[in-house]
Amino acid sequence: MNTTLSAILLLSVPGYPLLLAFPALRSRSPWPCHIALLPAVILLAVPAAFSVDLPWLLFGSGLAVGERSRWLLAMAVVLWGAAATLLRAPANQPESNHLTTFFLLTLAGSLGAILATDLVGFFTFSTLMGYGFYGLLVNGGEMAAQRAGRIYLALLILADLALFEALLIVAAVTDDLSFGAVHQAVAPSASLNLYLSMVLVGFALKAGIWPLHFWLLPAFRSARPAAALLLGGVPIATGLLGAVHWLPLGEISSPGLGLALQWLGVGAMLHAIVAGRIQGQLKMLPAYAAIFATGLFITALGAGLADSAAGSRYGDLAHLFIVSLGFGLAVLTVGIGWLAARSPDAVAPAKRAGDPAPWFERWPGAVVRWGAQMGSDTLPRLRASWLATAGRLWQTRAWQSALDGGERSLQRWAFAITLLLLLGVAVAFIGALS
Amino acid sequence: MSWDTGMPLLVLASSLLPGLVIFFLPEERIVTRTTLNLAGATLKLALVGVMIWGALYGHHYETRLPILPGLDLVLRADPLSILFVALSSILWLVTTIYAIGYLEGSPNRSRFFGFFSLCVTATVGVALAGNLITFLLFYELLTLVTYPLIVHRGTEVARRAGRTYLIYTIAGGTLLLLGTVWLYTLAGSLDFTARGFLSGLGGAHHTALVIIFVLLIGGLGVKAALIPLHGWLPQAMVAPAPVSALLHAVAVVKAGAFGIMRVVYDVYGIQFAATLGVTLPLAIVAAVTIIYGSMRALFQDDLKRRLAFSTVSQVAYIVLGIAIVGPVATIGGLVHLVHQGVMKITLFFCAGNLAETLGIHKVSEMNGVGRRMPWTMAAFTIGTFGMIGAPPLAGFISKWYLGVGALDGGQGWVVFILAGSSLLNAGYFLPILYAAWFKAPPDSWPAERSFGRRETAWALLAPPVVTALLTLAAGLLASAPFSPLQWARFITTLEYAL
Repeated sequence: MNTTLSAILLLSVPGYPLLLAFPALRSRSPWPCHIALLPAVILLAVPAAFSVDLPWLLFGSGLAVGERSRWLLAMAVVLWGAAATLLRAPANQPESNHLTTFFLLTLAGSLGAILATDLVGFFTFSTLMGYGFYGLLVNGGEMAAQRAGRIYLALLILADLALFEALLIVAAVTDDLSFGAVHQAVAPSASLNLYLSMVLVGFALKAGIWPLHFWLLPAFRSARPAAALLLGGVPIATGLLGAVHWLPLGEISSPGLGLALQWLGVGAMLHAIVAGRIQGQLKMLPAYAAIFATGLFITALGAGLADSAAGSRYGDLAHLFIVSLGFGLAVLTVGIGWLAARSPDAVAPAKRAGDPAPWFERWPGAVVRWGAQMGSDTLPRLRASWLATAGRLWQTRAWQSALDGGERSLQRWAFAITLLLLLGVAVAFIGALS
Repeated sequence: MSWDTGMPLLVLASSLLPGLVIFFLPEERIVTRTTLNLAGATLKLALVGVMIWGALYGHHYETRLPILPGLDLVLRADPLSILFVALSSILWLVTTIYAIGYLEGSPNRSRFFGFFSLCVTATVGVALAGNLITFLLFYELLTLVTYPLIVHRGTEVARRAGRTYLIYTIAGGTLLLLGTVWLYTLAGSLDFTARGFLSGLGGAHHTALVIIFVLLIGGLGVKAALIPLHGWLPQAMVAPAPVSALLHAVAVVKAGAFGIMRVVYDVYGIQFAATLGVTLPLAIVAAVTIIYGSMRALFQDDLKRRLAFSTVSQVAYIVLGIAIVGPVATIGGLVHLVHQGVMKITLFFCAGNLAETLGIHKVSEMNGVGRRMPWTMAAFTIGTFGMIGAPPLAGFISKWYLGVGALDGGQGWVVFILAGSSLLNAGYFLPILYAAWFKAPPDSWPAERSFGRRETAWALLAPPVVTALLTLAAGLLASAPFSPLQWARFITTLEYAL
């Protein structure tokens, strides 16, 4: 294929949905969410691997499609196509402009992340995907959806910070930020362990991997059909794909870290089985399936990091696994939705407004309140009453008033200091002249 | 006088002369005033463009006028001054367009635009100053011509803010003057020189040089709003939105930060400053300012006050980039001089639009405003994400270079400051976006004005949209030729003799 044509095609896969995200540019388009997928469909139909270098973009970036990314792109096209159809369907509501914008932004981010060839490009697209998906979760939703969105957003910011730190570590050792070059540069680096920690924490937060899966359950519980369908194929898949791309698999052998990840993966799978069984809600089955599957992924990732030979083979399998996970969770979500439509009693309803906040929001406050009432120490070496007082001060913004007062005092002194300095200048001038 | 010696004067005159004429125009001469304003701003931009082109082809633009025996008024277009003068010229043009729309129908416009032009003249003088005495003259002129803009509305609050501004900046100017005089008696020269001119002074003068450094940075730190010298900035937000944009993005705080650059790089020289041990304390002051400004912004309900504290924090990034000794961090500091200006002016334009169109002044009044003013809030969204440092926007590039520069310079603690600041930025900006885009709008706005089918007047809408696009372009096209990043890299090669 002609180089210019292939470059245009590759750029238009994330670029076209991004353009359509502007309401003014899609106002005359009847099916913007479906049409946005057109470049990706054409790219899939062209049976060749090609790439484009974009040296003027960010710090020098690029996009490419190869055998592995083609599978991921195919999964994305199917899932996004189905979600676009669902987006128009629910309860015959008129299509919301906002929702379409967030849908298209998330789509652009998701497709771009699949085609990215370097760390900064991937980071950029995955961030776009993350903030767009937040909009998809929250827009028009009830209190439970807003809470899920809030948790997702907080963790997304933390994940991006961790990944940004990882990027800085990499940039300190190499100027070439393409995946392959980074793997080779970071493997012998003294900062390898810090880099691995940041990458693992960052993508575990993004993909909702146990025990950092705080956003996953509220999101599955409250997401509307289109967003629920995409949970496996978009935020989770992008998070897992990021881990595969960013970690120097095949370049390092780290038995200690590998074993720790394998134990973590087993823990995730056990958690999914036990907690899923206790929870017992059919609607939540995809969430626990996701925790189980990502646990399996982490176990294999641990094996890949423990031994460089296994790590080399892991790459191919990981892509297939991510594709299967995306499709599997989508099918499960659709199946349960269908079941819910046929027999609502079989599927517990989603939580409504007034449901309690998740434990990590409720417990710290409850501990402090209880301690304040009892007048006793609820935490070792820390009086709960102090915490309660600090909480009250925070609520009343007393510290803000204190800081304002401090600034006002400084302003009063500024005049006196000015006079003093003018005197100093006069003395200096007289001294210089004499 | 050749073109090369006259060009800096022409750049100054392109805003000075229209400004002086505008003072004497009657209020009703709207077309003449608007023509003069726009012609001056466009001419300045064209002249700066010619100057950049000439500098690339080896022209050396310098004007030297004797003012006292041994002391010259020097205007010179070196790469650092071109960075600042290009920023101020571009943003002056968009701010002029915005101000014309903003002040439509309001009184005392001739006075306003007269001082507005003088303000830009002083800023360009600061940018082109070739020695410390010229810098000082324009720096003080900037103080004097900005005061009438801050008190323009004439209310008691505005007058109080103006008084505070004057006290702070005169105090700062005094420190700067004291430092300059002392420096002249020691070194016998004040000419800005790449890599400084003080390293040749003997060890006996080092204590004096440290004290002079403190005086100079103290003087410049007032306008750069380093804590505890920042108190004037949040108060000055009572000024009209175009003035706030000018204060926060183009002129005043930038003059302070730019001055610190000049002192560290072209007076002391970065390596000599590091030898004197003054860069680490400066980095610590900048770091504390970054965190303090963000903390204060977190709970401000007044939108412009929140943005003002954000400026306190964001301008300190520039100082931090200077104080981390190393070429990569220098690139970060230099490029943030431009990036912060473009991002912050976007936010102030948007805040002005909300106030002028809907009467919104507080964050708590912004529920659902994204539906009523989508273009304004889209620009605001880009500006805020840029401030947070989200890729691929301008702020991401700045934070990237500051972070890598910190690691490169062996100052890993700075990375935690950057992370903490990003977290706080998200904490005070994202709730605004949530309220604007996801909350339901009220039944009525505090003071709505109708602009027909448009969300607001064209003159108010176009500037923030343009600057938001610049925010996007500065990040996305960072590696393209002539981007702010490439120019910052070029300056760094000169300052570090790479």
